[in-house]
Amino acid sequence: MTRNTDTGGDSGDAVADGGVTENPNGSGFSPIAALNDRFGSDFVESSQFWLPPFLLVGLFVYGAIIWNLLISLTDFNSFGSPDYSDLDFEMYARALADSAFVDAAVNTFVLLVGFTLVTLALGLGLAILVDRNIRFENTLRTIYLLPMSLSFVVTAQFWAWMFNFNNGVINIVISSLGFGRVDWLGNPDIVLWAVMFALMWQFAGYAMVVYLAGLRAIPNEHYEAAKVDGASTIRMYWRVIIPQLKGSTISASVVLMVFALKAFDFLYSLVGGYRPPNGVDILATKMVREAYQANEWAYASAIAIALFLMALGIVGPYLYYQYTRGNL
Amino acid sequence: MGTLELDGVTKVFPDGDGEVVAVDDVDIEMRDGEFLVVVGPSGCGKSTTLRMVAGLETISSGEIRLTGKHINDVKPQHRDIAMVFQSYALYPHMTVRENMAFGLEESTDLSDDEIDERVTDATGTMGIAELLDRKPSDLSGGQRQRVALGRAIVRDPEVFLMDEPLSNLDAKLRSEMRTELQRLQDELDVTTMYVTHDQTEAMTMGDRIAILDAGELQQVATPLECYHEPANRFVAGFIGDPSMNFFDVRRDGDTLVGSVFDYPLSASTLDDVGDVTDLILGIRPEDISLAGDATGEHTFSTVAEVVEPMGDENTVYIRFEDAPEGETFIATVGGLQQVAAGDEITVEIPEKTIHLFDGTTGKAVHNRELDE
Repeated sequence: MTRNTDTGGDSGDAVADGGVTENPNGSGFSPIAALNDRFGSDFVESSQFWLPPFLLVGLFVYGAIIWNLLISLTDFNSFGSPDYSDLDFEMYARALADSAFVDAAVNTFVLLVGFTLVTLALGLGLAILVDRNIRFENTLRTIYLLPMSLSFVVTAQFWAWMFNFNNGVINIVISSLGFGRVDWLGNPDIVLWAVMFALMWQFAGYAMVVYLAGLRAIPNEHYEAAKVDGASTIRMYWRVIIPQLKGSTISASVVLMVFALKAFDFLYSLVGGYRPPNGVDILATKMVREAYQANEWAYASAIAIALFLMALGIVGPYLYYQYTRGNL
Repeated sequence: MGTLELDGVTKVFPDGDGEVVAVDDVDIEMRDGEFLVVVGPSGCGKSTTLRMVAGLETISSGEIRLTGKHINDVKPQHRDIAMVFQSYALYPHMTVRENMAFGLEESTDLSDDEIDERVTDATGTMGIAELLDRKPSDLSGGQRQRVALGRAIVRDPEVFLMDEPLSNLDAKLRSEMRTELQRLQDELDVTTMYVTHDQTEAMTMGDRIAILDAGELQQVATPLECYHEPANRFVAGFIGDPSMNFFDVRRDGDTLVGSVFDYPLSASTLDDVGDVTDLILGIRPEDISLAGDATGEHTFSTVAEVVEPMGDENTVYIRFEDAPEGETFIATVGGLQQVAAGDEITVEIPEKTIHLFDGTTGKAVHNRELDE
């Protein structure tokens, strides 16, 4: 707390928590020294290295987000330029009153949670099976991971074929087994689950690899100690092994959730347009439709902000978790 | 508490097209409450033997009986054994209390209160009561070691299995824990099988030692028997530090003829030798003594090449006068006796301290005499 003596003197307005106060009475007050004092001794000297990227990222990422927020507060639509003189939350009110928005938000949320949980569970199951010293382990691992390497466009296209009502392989199989054909993509009650399944097919391999890495980090002795301690195989996994996969679960689910939010490309490719099948409209598709079909710029911006908040809601806790563990 | 019998236990691992015999026809019988140390060099099959008793490896042939019960096909979780691992294998996401309670929760029907009581008792025994709510990552190596032992103790099993439990500790802590483990085993009186490669641990801790080499059991005996009456050349060389000196010799009449020395034998020793002619003469470093002059029939003129002063004693690398340079054997002499490198010294190899082994089979044909 030496700084209090050289800036504050005995004028008494130096704050006790160590913060820097504006101190008009102080003699020799220097802004550079104050900055260095506050942020670390090299703050000003090192700024030539970190300041340019800092400003660029600030402008193009955070600046764009703020601009987007501003547009969402205007009534900007069709051609022309936004009018920033009249800012209100009208677009957000409109969104809440718009049942299509609410549906899309619910779908986004269901997709997010459902897809993530199912994919994690499947990935964990695969990882545990692959980790049990089986034959052809590397081959199987590659096979399971392969869908991950395909582009969304490819997977969407061939799941569109698989789900095809008349000629799709799934309907051919189930009708040959004596069941009726299912309109996978046309029935609004089913289509969300069909899309979720296709996404799960693509990402279960990723979850498996993350879990496999986590499992490999657990020493063999833990399995053996649990067995000698009297635990059955299921109890061993439940009480000793899976709890140690907390880190893998958290990092895999953040990636999966972010992918679920971005399922736009998958849905776009599924139908080749902005309008996904009824029942699977999500915020991302609705946002693009409002912007580029309806030219409702302000309304689309409001939807974008809603999507942004959802993403923040996912990444924020993760960053906080990493921060508390000292990883940031 | 129980007895443990290994009867012709064999473990064969497949290796490409062939197979590797890791443990070959091992017979061991452990009394109730006995502390048996299984010792041998790396890869001798000692850990595999222990893991077969634990049920973590299948048994290729032979039988393991726990208190008379055949347990070959019993899963590890039903064997009523507790094992301490070299790496401790504490569960990192559980506190010390949870780690210790886990085995009781999984293997018994005890109520939470009873489990808690037993855990508290065991932590008292191990002196780790104040660590109960910490995670393993917050413990030092010695503390983890104690928790791992506590986790075994709290189970109150028929048999303790310990797989090199002290090898991750520093030297000082290791000798402390060695004493503590002995005290603990004495107090609990649980049959214990203890695997180590460290012959000091084997000598100091065990009621009996089982020495394995290349999967084969060499000898099961008390530490002093192994030391003074080794069954074969391997045991003689493995137990003792610095290890026994060996010389290849040939029997010619009543004399052993080595490459650079002759060693006459008395009639009683010759009786033991019988008609074996290829022999190995063994002598422990501490049995070689400095002599005044080379007039006796078992005294030899030698040169000291290297002297390693240890304080209480000197380890002297000496060679026979006629032997080529570098061909040394070891003698330990008292720390106050002045021996310097390059000195010509006369040493005595007393006949009553020598061991003789069959040169082809390695079996002991004559062991040293012991004063009763």
